[in-house]
Amino acid sequence: MEAWEVATTLIIAYLGLTLLLGVLANRRLTVDVEDFMLYGRKAGFIVLYLTIVATFHSAFAFLGSGGFFYTHGIGFWAAGAWTVLAGAITYVLGTRIWALGKAFGYITPADLMADFYESEVVRVTVAVVSVVFTILYIQVQAQGLGYIITVATDGRVSFEVGTLLLLIVAAFYLIAGGLRAVYWTDVLQGVWMYAAVWIGALVLAYELFGGPLQLWQEVAAQRPDLLSLPGPNGFFTPGMWIGMVVTLSFGIILQPHMLIRYYTAVDAKTLKALGATTPIYLMTLYIPAAFVGLGGAVAMPDLDVPDRIFPELLFAHVSPWLTGAILAGAAAAAMSTLDSILHSNMTILTHDIYRRYVRPGASQAHYLRVGRVFVVVLLAVGYVVTVSTFDFLVVLITLSGSGALQLLPGLAGVCFPGRRTLTRTGVVAGIAAGLATLYVTLVVAPHPLGMHGAIWALLVNGATALLVSRFTAAPSAGTIERVHGELEAFVYGDPEPKPSGPPA
Amino acid sequence: MATAAFAALLLLAMPPVTHSVLNRTEPWILGAPFLYVALLAAYVALIGVLIWAWRRRV
Repeated sequence: MEAWEVATTLIIAYLGLTLLLGVLANRRLTVDVEDFMLYGRKAGFIVLYLTIVATFHSAFAFLGSGGFFYTHGIGFWAAGAWTVLAGAITYVLGTRIWALGKAFGYITPADLMADFYESEVVRVTVAVVSVVFTILYIQVQAQGLGYIITVATDGRVSFEVGTLLLLIVAAFYLIAGGLRAVYWTDVLQGVWMYAAVWIGALVLAYELFGGPLQLWQEVAAQRPDLLSLPGPNGFFTPGMWIGMVVTLSFGIILQPHMLIRYYTAVDAKTLKALGATTPIYLMTLYIPAAFVGLGGAVAMPDLDVPDRIFPELLFAHVSPWLTGAILAGAAAAAMSTLDSILHSNMTILTHDIYRRYVRPGASQAHYLRVGRVFVVVLLAVGYVVTVSTFDFLVVLITLSGSGALQLLPGLAGVCFPGRRTLTRTGVVAGIAAGLATLYVTLVVAPHPLGMHGAIWALLVNGATALLVSRFTAAPSAGTIERVHGELEAFVYGDPEPKPSGPPA
Repeated sequence: MATAAFAALLLLAMPPVTHSVLNRTEPWILGAPFLYVALLAAYVALIGVLIWAWRRRV
């Protein structure tokens, strides 16, 4: 068999496995919205661990991280800081979100914020921000998938066909089994991608240099500029380092497909265990990425597209079987994030918009059918934005990574009781000011004074929210007492809140 | 205690420490550059704090 035949066969085998898991998940599915959208709030440690890490690490972690090390050097090791911080956020914030979700029956992030701030405007604002700033993230993943298929088949399957094929597979198992199918496939994808990155990087390190020790020696001898800060292009300034750590920890965790995972945990102990241990996986995935990127800069300099360094090295120096298995791992990294985004956007559109404003009070089966229709619609939108090029989309994609971060002040106002409470007007004004600032600091004049644009936007957002909240009406005392009382009981008293039904 | 330890260790893995004290390229453990190894040690210590907090049920 030729190399491309082996690689394609292994990717097809991987896709077959994910479809099989989707069918098996379908057999366990009941006609219940919480089962379809939230895994019945019964996710245990192993399943939740692998779905969180697989979803956190996308196609960017597999392909882009090597490219970042290749171009900007060791500064990308800041990744360790944002992955560890993500664990701490899960430990502190995630458990509080879980407690409120369990107590009041929340399904989406908008549920939580609309209930506390007593505002449908807050609900719609959070829902729109959540969907707009993640739906275009589909493009990033789908492009990675299309590229992987094109590379694996040596150009015999076009980018457009490859993208469509993998989008359909992800949509199929999501439609078949809901979040259970996403979680089960994420278990497979999480294990596969981790093994693929480590094995691929170590094989390349030994094949090209004789081992990691010699790799470091060669990089130090030939490209010492890659081993110091701020890197050969001056990218990793202190402001960029801080900005990327904040944006890629809080910013990713606050995306709806991550927040919804907190609601699905079986108990708070599981989430705390996840907060403490998921950074082991998340951080150590970037160790082999450094081998690939820094070693690649020595072994294969002047690459036109640095993000392609990993597959280019594999095809040049590794056996077809291993290359195929590793490329399937790259597909797993992209699909595990893509299916989660499809699921979260489907949940938001069905629960926050359709169920609330279009047809309230319909049967569970009806909402499941509507959710599946939304998956097909999202697949179509995702495919169009992936294979088309529009100027405004490029702008929106630039904004997308930092958009979810703008939910932080409002969410903190709910989850961390303080002397002064934010108001619904303050939260909405803060988000609006933050997004406007984001456009300026990421698109018009990127990263003013060397500080990441998202940090400027977050500062403006927080200041606006606080200022406006001083002059506008706070949530009612009863709601504040109900929500913050539940949190205080959870943090200082009863660690397992009893469900008290959905909010009025 | 756990919060203070985590914050202190995180500061060691952030500017200005990273861009001044740790910004050295000479080989250290297993040939890896000082900056890389020092940050790895800080990250492992941070995970250690999280696990310690979890085990103590903080």
